[in-house]
Amino acid sequence: MSFHMVTDKPAPKFLNLLQIRLPPGGVTSIAHRISGVLMFLTLPLAAWLFDLSLRDAGGYRQVLDWLHTPLLRLVSVLLVWSLAHHLLAGLRHLLLDVGIGVDRLPARRSALGVNFGALGLVALYVAALA
Amino acid sequence: MTRAAQGLRAWLLQRFTALYLAAFLVYAVARLLRTPPAGHGQWLAWMGQPLTGVATTLFVAALALHAWVGIRDVLIDYVHAVWLRLSLMAAVALLLLGSGLWVMRALLLAALRAAQVGA
Repeated sequence: MSFHMVTDKPAPKFLNLLQIRLPPGGVTSIAHRISGVLMFLTLPLAAWLFDLSLRDAGGYRQVLDWLHTPLLRLVSVLLVWSLAHHLLAGLRHLLLDVGIGVDRLPARRSALGVNFGALGLVALYVAALA
Repeated sequence: MTRAAQGLRAWLLQRFTALYLAAFLVYAVARLLRTPPAGHGQWLAWMGQPLTGVATTLFVAALALHAWVGIRDVLIDYVHAVWLRLSLMAAVALLLLGSGLWVMRALLLAALRAAQVGA
């Protein structure tokens, strides 16, 4: 796969999502956005659970019980992936900003590292849950 | 302020808040994993400490600013109808402000209660 402009093929007339082959850096970038939006959407839930957990012993127990339900476990797996990917991709972004790893090959390697690193951290989390 | 200066300000804000968010989260997760609170009392005592309260309030403010810049960028890129974009931005601002104030209120109440328990 190459980043270079492909000049010997006509531009696609239709955008078939299944045919677009994003380079690793493209995956890192779009996943950075998706993970950020996911975390943003759960902020009210997080604020509510935080408040309830501090209110009294009953609220604390209630929050722990809810966190152990299948639905919130699934949400927590999504959030752990989101946080892991967003954090790693963000650090990569900051390094690129100061000129570290900007060349094509290191940038591609670090993008792969972020994409798979986040999946690895989620795998650890799921293993710890099970 | 010119549009370019506004863009630069948002760009800088996104990066400075990112550094604080990352440092806070790594510390908080490490601490929660190392010494998980045994119950409501310990959780309240931890969150009710003045230093925790200040650091977490800063975290909430940094998170709100960071999320605002990020979600605004996403809306600008994908939502082109101006009325819809502005409505969504208003909803985002309300959600961030509401959630942030809610957490700050919980922190303040925790600090008061922890002080009562401690006294």
